[in-house]
Amino acid sequence: MNWRRLLDHPSLALGLAATLAFALLGLASLIWTPYPIADIAISRRFLVPDASHLLGTDHLGRDMLSLIMAGTLTSFTVGAAAVAIGVGIGVPMGLVAAMWGGPVDWVAMRISDLAFAFPSVIIAILIATLIGPGATNAIIAIGIFNIPVFARVARGGALALSSLDFIGAARLAGLGKAAIAWRHILPNIMSLIIVQGTIQLSLGILAEAGLSYIGLGTQPPATSLGLMLRDAQSLFLIHPSLSLLPGLAIVLIVVALNIAGDGLRDALDPRLRRQELA
Amino acid sequence: MTALVEIDDLAVSFGARPAIEGLTLAIEKGERFGIIGESGSGKSLTALAIAGLLPETARMSGRIRFDGAPLPQDEREMARLRGKRIGMVFQEPMTALNPLMRVGEQIEEAMRLADEAAAPLADLPALLQEVGLEPRHAGRYPHQLSGGQRQRVMIAMALASRPELMIADEPTSALDVITQRLVLDLIGEICQRRRMTLLFISHDIRAVAALCERVAVLHRGTLVELGPVHTVLTRPNQAYTQKLVAATQVTPRQRVAAPKPEPLLTVTHLTRAFKGRGLLHWGEKPLLAVNDVSLSIGVGECLALVGPSGCGKTTLGRMIVGLDSASAGEMDFAGTPYRGADLPAARRADLSLVFQDPFGSFNPRLTVAQSLGEPLRLLPRLAPLERQTRLEEAITSVGLETAMLARYPHEFSGGQRQRLAIARAMVTRPRLVVLDEPVSALDVSVRGDVLDLLARLQADHALTYLIVSHDLDMVAAMADRVLVMEAGRIVEEGTPTALFARPRHRLTQELMAARLPDIVG
Repeated sequence: MNWRRLLDHPSLALGLAATLAFALLGLASLIWTPYPIADIAISRRFLVPDASHLLGTDHLGRDMLSLIMAGTLTSFTVGAAAVAIGVGIGVPMGLVAAMWGGPVDWVAMRISDLAFAFPSVIIAILIATLIGPGATNAIIAIGIFNIPVFARVARGGALALSSLDFIGAARLAGLGKAAIAWRHILPNIMSLIIVQGTIQLSLGILAEAGLSYIGLGTQPPATSLGLMLRDAQSLFLIHPSLSLLPGLAIVLIVVALNIAGDGLRDALDPRLRRQELA
Repeated sequence: MTALVEIDDLAVSFGARPAIEGLTLAIEKGERFGIIGESGSGKSLTALAIAGLLPETARMSGRIRFDGAPLPQDEREMARLRGKRIGMVFQEPMTALNPLMRVGEQIEEAMRLADEAAAPLADLPALLQEVGLEPRHAGRYPHQLSGGQRQRVMIAMALASRPELMIADEPTSALDVITQRLVLDLIGEICQRRRMTLLFISHDIRAVAALCERVAVLHRGTLVELGPVHTVLTRPNQAYTQKLVAATQVTPRQRVAAPKPEPLLTVTHLTRAFKGRGLLHWGEKPLLAVNDVSLSIGVGECLALVGPSGCGKTTLGRMIVGLDSASAGEMDFAGTPYRGADLPAARRADLSLVFQDPFGSFNPRLTVAQSLGEPLRLLPRLAPLERQTRLEEAITSVGLETAMLARYPHEFSGGQRQRLAIARAMVTRPRLVVLDEPVSALDVSVRGDVLDLLARLQADHALTYLIVSHDLDMVAAMADRVLVMEAGRIVEEGTPTALFARPRHRLTQELMAARLPDIVG
């Protein structure tokens, strides 16, 4: 995909730009935040926004902007790592199911049904009871939830492709099933996986916020957008901005990712593109 | 007579790319008008423009008048015009029908949409009878009908509103020869009886010649020639029309060497059964796609396998090249016995297959060199330098340039892709090549070139061909021997001249009768 095509889809450009802006904001917190996020100063608590604290401070006197920057990074890290787990395990699983078929397909799909049957919250509770809460556990829980989603996308795409003649030509050329999956199927379902990836990233960010909110995700002194919401909920009527700011950040990130995902689907889906030529 | 449709200086473009330019023509009331053109000539777009159905990305200029009045700009008005006065039949009836609705309901829906307490319309049984269906077919779903029956349903839906104009866009290209003839005859009959105007769009010159009175020839979006069918097709004025007409006459190939009698491939009592999956189909009898077939192909021979769609000829071809395995029986290729997919890797290089659809047979993400080089892994002892010469040899032998090896499949036309597919089949220097409908997906004007190429390659490399096809003219020109197949069995065998002159089996006779008449000057 080249850059000119990107501009043909304004919503895609907008979504990607907004996502990128948030990702950069998060990444910047690695190097620099206005104040250290673990810096507690009760004397400076509940400050209104001014020049020294652009978004004010929370109930412990921590700088809100710094917290949001760090929280955004946590959200993206958890979401992206969970997508990586989903792609890394789910896509090979789906390809194997489609290529070998028969009993292999049955087993792979039942495993994915099993993973579908447990919401990520239940898995997170299970992991938290076993090894305690934390960001890593949120990643594992959401990642497990992502596996069947990517397995289904890869399997569906592979099955649609496998009836095409070039797969037959590859079999005639003596390629094994794994080689066909790698060389012929994977490159052609990449666009499906990328689109699903953006959607799962936004779902993962939401899920991370949810898990942190109920206390199973990120633990203090680290922070995440969900954790900030949890801290601020009892103060909502007195200091609404403490919950509105992280909430707004979550909404904006998720909307940006969804717009980008829809735009990518329009830009990459060959069926929609072919309509223009018909 | 007055014109029902007048097109004046029509131009359609997508972005900066013109698809139709300066098209002016008129279709008289009650006339059967044909548009001939190859893919990309703008013939379908012309029909869509008349029906006001151009895709939103298209820009249109010029005027179209229907029955003296310009086409309404308002979408509602246009929809009413389409619903009442224009009927359309599309190429692929499976995708044009709703799979979840009984066909009777779909026809009734078309009748309801057309009828606003106007003239009482024909009832469903009468309409079904008119298109040659029985009343019991109304209760079926589209997937329970054959291709020809589905196309009849489409015609019934188009007729439901008693339209003045019927637009048929390649209505028979997805059907096999026998059904094609029946549907063409049906359309002609209905138009005559109802005095309906027909706009028939096709790339098949003989179908247009059989059905239409006047014809327009389109080429790259411009009108090449226009006039009565007989005049245009027997005494074409323009070079393009002449080329097109000449391409429909397949000239027999000159055979250099007579095939040797020793067999290269023998097939004995081969059967392929397909079982329904799941508990529901537990006790059912398996479907025999290939049923106890025995045949042999001599070295250097060109054997053709003909039959209607679904007769098992493609399944047989796939087993021979090793894409599928037989349920019973055996094959023997140059001394190696096998049943299909168990063909030893060492032997695979001697067998290859050219696929029917040149658009689906190349991975769009690989360069031509990567795709062509793939079968070379069957010859592991090939040095890299030798590999490269093999690729260059293969691509030049099909009349393309070595610089094209670095390109991607979408940069090639259909005819060029089929040449590339042939090059891929030749790259391992096989002895037997199975050609599955090698030219049926191609435009008429390039078919002859591809057949010439195949004949030349056969002579140059002493190849043996197995052609799987339903195109009798092509088979008559290419093959040394013909096998006729029906429902998994071979029912007749002979040389093309003998077989087609005196067909003995009922199916062969039907196939011969369904051939559209040649254009004679």
